[in-house]
Amino acid sequence: MAHVVLKDLVKTYGSFKAVNDVSLTVNDGEFVALVGPSGCGKTTTLNLVAGLISVTSGDIVIGDRVVNDLDPKDRDIAMVFQNYALYPQKSVYMNLAFPLQMRKLPKDEIDRKVREAARVLDMTQLLERKPRELSGGQQQRVALGRALVRDPAVFLMDEPLSNLDAKLRVQMRSEIKRFHQDLKATIIYVTHDQLEAVTMADRMAVMNGGYLQQYDSPAQVFAHPANMFVASFVGSPAMSLIPLEASTANGGAVLTSAEGWSLALSPRNAQKVARATTRKVVLGARHSTIKLHKSAIADAIPAKAYTVEPTGDVTFVQAFLSGAIVNISVSPNVAIAPDEQIWLEFDQERIHLFDSETEVALEAS
Amino acid sequence: MTIVSGKAEARRTLQSARSDVLRKMWEHRADYAYVLPAIAVMLIVIAYPIYYTIELSFFNTPPGLQLRDKIFVGLNNYTAILTSGVFWQVTFNTLIWTVASTFFSFVLGFAAALALHRDFIGRGVLRAILIIPWVISAVAASYIWKWIYHSDFGIIGAVLVELGWAERPPNFIDSVSTVLPSLIVVNIWREFPFAMIMMTAGLQTVPEPLLRAAKVDGANAWQRFWHVTFPHLRNVSTVTILLLAVANFNSFIIPWIMTGGGPSNASHIWITHIYELAFGRQRWGVASAYSVLLFIILMTLGYFYVRALSGNERKDGGA
Repeated sequence: MAHVVLKDLVKTYGSFKAVNDVSLTVNDGEFVALVGPSGCGKTTTLNLVAGLISVTSGDIVIGDRVVNDLDPKDRDIAMVFQNYALYPQKSVYMNLAFPLQMRKLPKDEIDRKVREAARVLDMTQLLERKPRELSGGQQQRVALGRALVRDPAVFLMDEPLSNLDAKLRVQMRSEIKRFHQDLKATIIYVTHDQLEAVTMADRMAVMNGGYLQQYDSPAQVFAHPANMFVASFVGSPAMSLIPLEASTANGGAVLTSAEGWSLALSPRNAQKVARATTRKVVLGARHSTIKLHKSAIADAIPAKAYTVEPTGDVTFVQAFLSGAIVNISVSPNVAIAPDEQIWLEFDQERIHLFDSETEVALEAS
Repeated sequence: MTIVSGKAEARRTLQSARSDVLRKMWEHRADYAYVLPAIAVMLIVIAYPIYYTIELSFFNTPPGLQLRDKIFVGLNNYTAILTSGVFWQVTFNTLIWTVASTFFSFVLGFAAALALHRDFIGRGVLRAILIIPWVISAVAASYIWKWIYHSDFGIIGAVLVELGWAERPPNFIDSVSTVLPSLIVVNIWREFPFAMIMMTAGLQTVPEPLLRAAKVDGANAWQRFWHVTFPHLRNVSTVTILLLAVANFNSFIIPWIMTGGGPSNASHIWITHIYELAFGRQRWGVASAYSVLLFIILMTLGYFYVRALSGNERKDGGA
């Protein structure tokens, strides 16, 4: 196993910059998820690491070697593809053996490694089958096995679960996580599904528009999103982002809505707002941090329930505040009808404040 | 359950299956009515000629005799054909012609498809140029090649003499030993673009992720071709070779126009020979017997081919 370092990585296609100055370090044995919406540059970044496309500028280090100019086969990597990319005419056994045959290993060693990988992934009984005779989950396991037999320094996984149905995806998610724990493997995992990144990765690199937005543990990314993009991308339902205007009243800082209501800020939050470059500030709050009241209380903001979505465990209520959608989760035994008058109370300790100009999170000094 | 009742069971299911088929046919009676006109036309233009050819093959039709006065000769036409030297010569020519044309057209077409698969400037123009032999009229091409091969005025002979590689222009199509290879070259020139188009279409369906996976797995360009591209093209290759083989077996235009089967039958293949017997010498009976034999041979080949093909499909699960 080895660590991976990306240093000021840039990839351009003509005038289009697919990857912009991405720098990050993946530690030995770490599971890192590259996550972002489609077109954010995450797959391009992975292909750069794999060597399937060439670097425009910057360096890629695997282990202690700069691998910019090495062929994929010389980079000591293995890759798992979204559609598995199994060789359809070869049996499972031959699929697993292929990368070893290409390395001209002796036959008995190939056999030993293939059977070992099959045992680890619990598919010894599938070895003689052709890929098309396998279910999606089994094919995915073969693809993992083909990467595993190589005993590579780094595993690269390109959306390996997105072709599976929802139930199987959850199951394979824990299998891959287990695979990582057992092997202490260095894994770079590309996904557009923030939930996969949050549940599986040690650290997640959130990307957008070719830029690295934030690189931190899922817990940190969730609790302290660096900017509005990360705040709205990570977490489901998305964090509510309400555009407001900061002002001072009665000696304290207040956020005022164009709708007329206002929210007095705690001293710590007032400090954050003071650091904004503009008076326009965006208030962010996750659904679980907003309290919903069915009658007016002090400091609660009046709103109207727009939709009510029971999911069994919790019920999600959507409302509009200052033109923005606000998601609130309530216990399923709270009965709320659409268009019912409700009051929302924000938790000063757990709200996020963003500069509406730079979209960056505001921090107290 | 005893064996006897097992048999009875089987008979019952067979009977119910049969009545099932009849019931389904009755349910779809309107559909049968729709295709009836087409079937009637097929019977008139295909089934009746086949029947009439088989009938004629048992008769002698001397020139000058009206067809309705034909003389029944039993299997004489067949024994005459099978014991004649010309039959074996023509059969041998047909085999050489079909196998060589099919093989080289396919290899050349596949090579051209691979060469033109990589993106480069002028690729579209080059593809268009290479398709020309296939789209121009076979008759026109045959006359052009007749002149190219001509022993007095042909350009190939002239170039060879000019370069000093030959003392006088070779007799490409006037010599028994060179006429068939010369015609095969023309045939390959004419039909390799077809193989190229088919294989190009096939190449475009090779999944890119598979090639990438092979690259990561350490396969070089040749290994990627051998382990990914080529297996993927197996079905389209089979179809291409089949279509080429059928077309070559039934070739007529190029040999007929360029040599008419000569000199001394050296370039006669089955179809040209049958045509000459029937419409050149009015030996309808013998020509019909020839046709029946050809029909039997092609049907046998076709049977084995279809069996091999469907066998493959069973093994691969139909992909």
